[in-house]
Amino acid sequence: MPANSIFESFLAGQGYALFEYVGDGDFRLIGEWPPWCANIWGAPPSGDQLIGLADKSPFLENFLVDAEEFWRARLPGSVNSGNWIERGADGREIPLEASARSLDGKRILLIQNLSETFGQQQKWFQTARNSLLEHEKLLKEIQKKEILLHCIVHDLTQPLSALNGVFHLLERENLPAGLRKYVKAGERESQRQELMIRGILEAFSSDLAAQQARETKISAAPDLLACAKQAIEEFSPAFRERQIRLSLGAHAGGSRGWRVVGDASRIDRIFGNLLENAMRYAPKGTSVTIGLQDQDGFVFAFVDDEGPGLPLDQRPDQLFALFSRGKAHAGKAGLGLYFCKITVERWGGAIGAETRERGGSRFWFRLPRATQTAESKATAAGQGKSAEREKPQKFKKAEKSLRILVAEDAELNRDLLIELLRKRGHVAEGVADGRQALAALEKHNFDVLLLDEEMPRMTGLQTTAAIRRRELTTGKHQIIIGISGHATEDDEHRFHEAGMDAALAKPVEVKTLYKAVEAAAQNLHPVAPHSQHETDPAAAAGPADAARTSADSPAHPPAHSPADRDDVVTHLRRSTGGNEKLIRSLAATFLADAPQALARIRSAVAKNNAAELAGAAHLLKGSLAIFGAPKAVAAARNMEALGRADSLPDAPAGLSALESEFALLQDELRAIHSTPRPKAKSRLKPKPARKRKRSR
Amino acid sequence: MLQKKICMLGSFSVGKSSLVRRFVESIFDEQYHTTIGVKVDKKVVSVSGADVMLVLWDIYGEDALQTMRMSYLRGMHGYLLVVDGTRRQTLDDALALNDRVVSEIGKVPAVLALNKFDLADQWEIEPAQETQLTAAGWTLQHTSAKTGDAVEKAFLQLAQLMPAK
Repeated sequence: MPANSIFESFLAGQGYALFEYVGDGDFRLIGEWPPWCANIWGAPPSGDQLIGLADKSPFLENFLVDAEEFWRARLPGSVNSGNWIERGADGREIPLEASARSLDGKRILLIQNLSETFGQQQKWFQTARNSLLEHEKLLKEIQKKEILLHCIVHDLTQPLSALNGVFHLLERENLPAGLRKYVKAGERESQRQELMIRGILEAFSSDLAAQQARETKISAAPDLLACAKQAIEEFSPAFRERQIRLSLGAHAGGSRGWRVVGDASRIDRIFGNLLENAMRYAPKGTSVTIGLQDQDGFVFAFVDDEGPGLPLDQRPDQLFALFSRGKAHAGKAGLGLYFCKITVERWGGAIGAETRERGGSRFWFRLPRATQTAESKATAAGQGKSAEREKPQKFKKAEKSLRILVAEDAELNRDLLIELLRKRGHVAEGVADGRQALAALEKHNFDVLLLDEEMPRMTGLQTTAAIRRRELTTGKHQIIIGISGHATEDDEHRFHEAGMDAALAKPVEVKTLYKAVEAAAQNLHPVAPHSQHETDPAAAAGPADAARTSADSPAHPPAHSPADRDDVVTHLRRSTGGNEKLIRSLAATFLADAPQALARIRSAVAKNNAAELAGAAHLLKGSLAIFGAPKAVAAARNMEALGRADSLPDAPAGLSALESEFALLQDELRAIHSTPRPKAKSRLKPKPARKRKRSR
Repeated sequence: MLQKKICMLGSFSVGKSSLVRRFVESIFDEQYHTTIGVKVDKKVVSVSGADVMLVLWDIYGEDALQTMRMSYLRGMHGYLLVVDGTRRQTLDDALALNDRVVSEIGKVPAVLALNKFDLADQWEIEPAQETQLTAAGWTLQHTSAKTGDAVEKAFLQLAQLMPAK
């Protein structure tokens, strides 16, 4: 057999068909006509018969343009068509690839049947693309959960706003020392809860970059030694109860001080989490020690216990993983150490644990030392902070009285904001939604509009858009401060994008509220410099900065209180400081208004109107939360979620659950309302009577 | 018979092959089979009373693994730009691809198929965005290769947009 024939047979055996191009889309077969060619293009050409491949295959016809150009240019190598698929007479799909090359001046087309390798290639691509789709799906799930988390955080911070406001008001009343202690305790606990809620948001939010951005703006460097001392002071009673000694050990080599990069409130929580962890494992009669060491450019802090040491079957780094639970599951959900890890790492530090040579465990973390600039700022801020803590907080009138409109759908929150602003000497009015805010702004001038984000009928963002549109013709600028229940950097950005001047986070701190309102209004009414520094030495920043401080307010390290499972009456007494008048007023308002809200939910379910259901359930949920009725709140939240998800088939069952919880609460509130008023004067000084706006 | 080359363009897994299969063979397969390379199908339709042979080029979806060769679009009379309405990103990718197509070969009749409309509960394209697309001159169809909704309509609409010659 001639060499050429052997070569041609070999090529055919390898799945190739070889052609010489003669022009006009016609080819001459060189060598064998493989069976797959017959399957696709029929019988082999006889003798010197030409094959019009371009006519037989639109794909080849298209490729021929590239091939001709290649042949014409007399380029070296080959030009390739890429894969394509032809269907055979037997219905099978045959993957092919063509390449054009020049050989001895001849224009050669090589077509390869890829059936043997195509399956594998297909499998790789299929796997890769399936993985990409799965990845996309997972990301969406995470996003959904984040949205849910933000909703939950919003719901949790809503009643906190009211509680914090009540405490702030009570604190400024002329209370007997004994009672003041309880108010302080209540305030501390509500602030602690706020920190925990924010901790959850931070731990689970994938928006870590935004978080980081906030935290690198260090304006005050905390003193790690002061934080350690404070943690020891806070935890000593709990340790004593368990007969474990808690002490401050070595903190040598601190001639340069102990100021580090970070945030005091979160460092308090890190120490708190590490001490809680040590307390769980340290046996009775042993010691737990906190120590500090100077390490080049870092401060090294540790908590040593004399317990059993780290579990042998667990790597130390696994202890800091999400939902990791230690030996014998003595811990809780496994969030505490995870929080410590992400927080410390975010500040450029490290965290770890080890079994000590002499027995017991050491949990440690290391944080970078604060720079000189941050340190000097910290000194100033630290002094201000300690002065704030010690000085009794009194209401001081603002330099200039402002007219402020408060748009907030939750009545109690609205009333509290108004009350706090009035105490400061401002003139404040309230409305329950965006539409009412627009109407009020048309009738009167307000220096500042405080605008809640989530309101029925017209949200805060929609209201802002309407106001800004209106201003295009009037040329005025209404100062708008948005109030968000989420308080992330994203929210702040969103608010500014929407045209708001500043953003406040719920629960709104009194100081932050005054600072934001008055700083924003300075643009309209310039006041003398330092005018508000008497009450607030730190106030110098713009409204956005002022708003941001809410998340960074001084921490109150955890004390250990049992979960609050009190009934409605106890809850109300606690949240109002035992103000019977306020309790009756709240009960009366609820009994008068809430049935209408429930009726709206019924109507929305009957009409299958998801949007209306979500709005009505949101409103009712806010009212229910004031009474600490967790089951009723959960039922309302469920209805809101069904409405938002447009998932109405489950709504009748949800409604029935809500109705029965609602009825129980109604009974309790009726009992409160009908109880004869105590003749004895409340020890609390009632706030001045104010006409309640019945806007709903 | 007049022949018209139509290309199916869009990201991977948006349903290009499924639309062709539904249109040509009235078949739908629930399982996703990724396309490698190009597959050419033909179908005769009636446009303004005349038979036209549509030559459908089902071109693999673009992603990090495969980039589309612009040479496949040579001689194209029109294209169906396919988007998975339940994956917002595929719309952005499709519009970016469209920009490349227009810059390479100029304006050619096209229909934007927002596919997988049977999954309307997972729809990620806002009505406002669809309005914007229409305002920008796009002919839109909410298609479902699964149910067959608007599939034939999308192809016929594209055929009608193409010059009769």
